[in-house]
Amino acid sequence: MSQFTQQVILGLLLGGVYVAVALGFSLVWGILNIVNLAHGALVILGSYITWDLFTRWHIDPFLSLPIDALALFVIGYALQRGVINRVIRAPLLFTFLLTFGINLIIVSLLLLIFTGDFRSVTPSYSGNGLHLGSVTIPYIRFAGLVVAFLLAGALWAILNRTRIGAAILAVGADRDAAQLVGIDLRHMYALTFGIGAAFAGVAGGIISTFQSITPTAGDPYTLQAFAVVILGGLGRVSATVAGGLTFGLIEILGQSAPGLGSGYANAIAFVVLVIVLVVRPRGLLGRLA
Amino acid sequence: MIAREERVPRRLRRVALPIGIILLAIVILVPLTSTDTAQQAGLPLLADKLWFRIATTVAMFVVMASAWNIIGGLTGYASFGNVAFFGIGAYTVGVLVSNRGWPFPLALLAAPLTATVFALIVGIPLLRLRGHYFAVATLGVGVAVGEVVNNLGPLGASTGLFLPIVRSDLLFFYMMLGAAAIAVLSTWFILRTRFGYGLLAIRENEEAAAVIGVNTTLYKVAAFCIAAALTGLAGGIFAQWNSFINQENVFAISDNVQMILMAVVGGAGTVLGPVAGAISLELIIQTLAGGGSAAVYSQIGLGVLLAVCVIFIPRGVIDFFGGQSRLSLRYLRQTLRETSA
Repeated sequence: MSQFTQQVILGLLLGGVYVAVALGFSLVWGILNIVNLAHGALVILGSYITWDLFTRWHIDPFLSLPIDALALFVIGYALQRGVINRVIRAPLLFTFLLTFGINLIIVSLLLLIFTGDFRSVTPSYSGNGLHLGSVTIPYIRFAGLVVAFLLAGALWAILNRTRIGAAILAVGADRDAAQLVGIDLRHMYALTFGIGAAFAGVAGGIISTFQSITPTAGDPYTLQAFAVVILGGLGRVSATVAGGLTFGLIEILGQSAPGLGSGYANAIAFVVLVIVLVVRPRGLLGRLA
Repeated sequence: MIAREERVPRRLRRVALPIGIILLAIVILVPLTSTDTAQQAGLPLLADKLWFRIATTVAMFVVMASAWNIIGGLTGYASFGNVAFFGIGAYTVGVLVSNRGWPFPLALLAAPLTATVFALIVGIPLLRLRGHYFAVATLGVGVAVGEVVNNLGPLGASTGLFLPIVRSDLLFFYMMLGAAAIAVLSTWFILRTRFGYGLLAIRENEEAAAVIGVNTTLYKVAAFCIAAALTGLAGGIFAQWNSFINQENVFAISDNVQMILMAVVGGAGTVLGPVAGAISLELIIQTLAGGGSAAVYSQIGLGVLLAVCVIFIPRGVIDFFGGQSRLSLRYLRQTLRETSA
């Protein structure tokens, strides 16, 4: 029983990471209709910034999260304004391919700068955890979950309580109508992508605290962000949270099912994903298209 | 995607056709200089081991890009799981040859069959999805099948499968070339049938296609199965050629992305676009590929090339042949205006 509880806790903690990774991805997909294949690369860029600040100036990884957000926002804004805006009205395959190309460039540049060595961020408290009977909750993972919920709250507040958020939602609902009421589309596209990238950067900072990072470590996260968005449904922050936590639980519990092992993690997740797509394409909490 | 009929003006056809025939003749005849009889007759060796490796790989990607083009380019369903067909074809040959002791030619016949059956099973539910959803669901299938294969004992699990080595560069080159010819001719033939027009109609507007009497489900699944059969055939040949297969070399998602790139850069929805894309991109990749940091630079180059192609020549390089468009500043500005914010 306690083993099951432990599994559920680990699943939720992992789910928190997926929530953090998927928030920006979901925003960009929902508003700009771009499936950003460079998302994982942006996540890992955030990880490297945290790692660099930690090894160079011993800045606590959780204190460097705002710096990740700021740096990635600037990069994301420039990327959308300068490059992706050029194909925003092209068929989806082209934005797919363009973001794949950007992913390739970012990953290669990271390889040149940081080499392919495994890097890890190890603050003094990284091994500690809360012991409740036979169940253990690692502090650092728990902090990651808290940050993920803070991120979700922040995104919800930006979208629903600010003028910029209203403009972003308007662009997502109807681009032409948004332009008619005086919204600068190019700026809004770039702003949306910048916010998405900033969230990716923070997620990367969290990831660096519990996982060794390499330039290619981001690629699986792109896939998982995709799975989370489909599982939860597009167009709502709460759907991303539900999708992320469920996905984490499925991954951890699926591996402990009889006859399966950790080698099947992706297969289980994607079989579930395909079933959801076919049976309930809107996702668990998604809005009607 | 813009519907365009391939119409080659007579003047160009008079030049392009002979050039094409000469190039094809060179590709078919050059390898023959490596045979013992040709060497004894004192002919120069025009095709060494490296030549064969690159040429066979190029032919393999011609098959994969052309097959992807049938479902992705003609029908408009961007499949990111075609590599699963390649892997299934490869593992069919691998298991039949190394575990069951079948002769290779017989096993090779089974490769497209298993791939087609698999495409039928996953295609019927998945082809109801569209756009991003179809892309990701197929991607999921590709990842999942690879991972399951990687865990199954009878399939060699993570060690992979070893096949008895057949040393004949010539044989595998011609087989791959034959598969490429089948793939290109199938596309050419499909585009001249009612079936082909149905696929194009689905790509342009699926509801309208259904209204004018196209059985969209049947057509889509058929296109998916044809793509699977061709890709499975290439996988089967690869298994025996490489004589070693595992999850990493036959279920690589990067191969899937590469075939899409080739089709799109060359010109998706055309007969010769994927061929042009596969040859040019694979040659660029092979030229740039080197050890150490050179490989990193080649990746950056590939990424930049991809971005430039997608932004400036979304209809593919094939658009400049055949007299439709000319590569000019005006063309670049126009394609940019069509898609940018």
